[in-house]
Amino acid sequence: MRTHIGVSGRARQLRLPLAVGLAAALVAACGTEQEGASAGGEGGGGGGDCANAEEAQASYEEAWTETAEQLGLEDLQPTAEEVCEVDTAEWAAEPKQGDTYRIAFAAQGPTNSWGLTNEEAFRSHAEELGVEVLYASANGDATAQVDNIQQLASQDPDALVVVPMGEGITGQVQAAANQGIPVVLCAGRLGSDSGAVSTVTRQYELLGTAYAEWLVQQLGGEGQVAVLSGLAGVPTAEFQKAAALEVFAEHPGIEVVTEQYTEWSPTVAKQVAANLVTQYPDLDGIWSDSGYGDLGVVQAYQEAGKPVPPLTGDAINAFLKAVQGTDVRFGLSSFPPEQSVECLDTAMSVLAGEPVLDKVYINSPSFTHEQIDQYVRPECSDNLFVPSSLPDEQLRGLGLC
Amino acid sequence: MTTGTRPVAASAPAGPSAPGGRALLRRALSLLAPLAGLAVILLLAAVTTPGFYSTGVLQLVLFQIGLIGVTAVGQTLVLLVGGIDLSIGAVIGLTTVIIAVYTRGDGARLGVAILLALAAGAVVGLVNGLLVVRRLVPAFVATFATFVLVQGVITAWTRGAPSGNIPGALSPLGTGRWLGVPVPAWVFLAVAVVAGIVLGRTGLGRRLYATGANARATALSGVRTGWIIAGCFVASALLAVLAGLINAGYIGYVDARLSRSLDLNSVAAAVIGGVGLTGGRGRIGQTVAGVVLLAVLLAWLRQLGAGAGAQLIVSGAVILLAVWLQNSGWTPRSPRRNKQRDGVR
Repeated sequence: MRTHIGVSGRARQLRLPLAVGLAAALVAACGTEQEGASAGGEGGGGGGDCANAEEAQASYEEAWTETAEQLGLEDLQPTAEEVCEVDTAEWAAEPKQGDTYRIAFAAQGPTNSWGLTNEEAFRSHAEELGVEVLYASANGDATAQVDNIQQLASQDPDALVVVPMGEGITGQVQAAANQGIPVVLCAGRLGSDSGAVSTVTRQYELLGTAYAEWLVQQLGGEGQVAVLSGLAGVPTAEFQKAAALEVFAEHPGIEVVTEQYTEWSPTVAKQVAANLVTQYPDLDGIWSDSGYGDLGVVQAYQEAGKPVPPLTGDAINAFLKAVQGTDVRFGLSSFPPEQSVECLDTAMSVLAGEPVLDKVYINSPSFTHEQIDQYVRPECSDNLFVPSSLPDEQLRGLGLC
Repeated sequence: MTTGTRPVAASAPAGPSAPGGRALLRRALSLLAPLAGLAVILLLAAVTTPGFYSTGVLQLVLFQIGLIGVTAVGQTLVLLVGGIDLSIGAVIGLTTVIIAVYTRGDGARLGVAILLALAAGAVVGLVNGLLVVRRLVPAFVATFATFVLVQGVITAWTRGAPSGNIPGALSPLGTGRWLGVPVPAWVFLAVAVVAGIVLGRTGLGRRLYATGANARATALSGVRTGWIIAGCFVASALLAVLAGLINAGYIGYVDARLSRSLDLNSVAAAVIGGVGLTGGRGRIGQTVAGVVLLAVLLAWLRQLGAGAGAQLIVSGAVILLAVWLQNSGWTPRSPRRNKQRDGVR
């Protein structure tokens, strides 16, 4: 279930006056396309001339507000972040070849169910929109993606959507942008110098902070907490963890007794948690960034005959199936694979010359143990990320249901 | 494959047929290094992590010993004939996928699924063996190629999201306990005993050592070395299937991320124990010692709260130390000493 950021519609209402103003500015500046790529590509910036700042900022805060409501959090303050509107008039263009747009998609590849769902959602939406997809799979590897982006850019697509596998691809993204291809970063982010027009993703800091605040609230602000992160050095893991540690640092009653990595593997998480059971018998809560990790944690505690401490993570069907009918308390959110739909929409808006946000922070459902029956899919595969916005027929076709 | 210049007899003392008290002394000394390492780690653990000596941690260590050990025995067989098997992790992954997809969680289909997994493992092992024996492809290259190939097959087949579930009937193999000891540790013990008997007490074992020490000379003496080498790769793959079943039973989930580390752990355990990388040297007892040392080391590092980087650094350092000890003459059957004795420079 995907929820668009509310401001997108409001932003579109301002399309005409903005377009007029931008056209005037363009005539005055007589800028080249390449320079425009650089200016428009301050995907993370905004600088001193943050367009439509108030409305863009409101959209950013909306995701935080909704997450707070869904998790029942009394105090969830957005981290400092400047979101601006990007003038995309310079990218407005007719299809370069034929009548349909050709959108290049540098995907993660079907290395897991997230990658599979991510690209299937993209393809389905492209079919609905009638655009051609030029596809390349990185198989989860940044080095492979460097080559993929070069290959895709050489086909001169109308736009390029990249699911970034690491900072190492920044040079190729810059090169594509300098080649006059508008780039949208999808489900991940790069530095502000990447040249991307827009970054569309679920915000790591929101997830990390929300999980930590939920745990603090569950513990009444006091107790021992273990922090279980995914993979060392991977942005998805490290940004979430850093945000969580900031929250815990603000609560003197919370003691982070250990920080470990689960490699997003239930088996590793189970071994890590088996150690926690013996080493920290008085552990009060577990901050985790992953439902895969949670699965191992629950098994370890259950096999040890100990009550499972309240824990957090993202919503994977295997975990929900494992804890349904138990008294395990959890707070979950999601890093929805279907955000690729929003990525494609943003790319199409850029090609239409419509203003977009430099950072489109996806809103997606968050829930607790109290709503488990609403989200668990017993008839579906363990690998399904829930809730899924893909139709059941498509999920069955993918072997996920 | 080994293409050394030593005659078969020159390598014999490393194997079980070594004569006299000198061989016994060598055998004792070869076990001494990993056991000394184990003692040091246990001592450090006692000082740094008092909770290490609890039942819970012991259970965890025993499970690790079981999982790593089963693959390490297979790896040892391959190392003894001068090869190396880097496809173990892929076979483990393939096993869990076959079990999940074929059974879809139905225990009644588990028997057939296990047979399918064994067949798939045997095919992978056979391909490895044929590439090494018939095409003379270095084992490192051949098994890495099959690793990549099998991973590709898994991805193409499942599109990254294996459907189905692991049947609960497999759970006792991974999580069960007998006499308070995790079942995987018993499985490892059984596998190690069988391998130890075959290697130490049978003609097949003697031919295997001879093949690893000098394949050409052994072949000239009438031994079908190709079959022995290929058989070791098949045995390694079948033991990887067994490890895959243990892991599937342990977590009840197709965990694609885990199996990659087991390739290196199996090599590390054998090397730390003192099994030679050049073939023909080592015993299952050494592998067992290496497995125990590695499992204790990993558990201790986890208890310390060491990050993934620190764990890899320490594991790597221990392997380097083991190899250095092998080559510096600390262990009784170092390659340098053999070469010096055999006049090879």
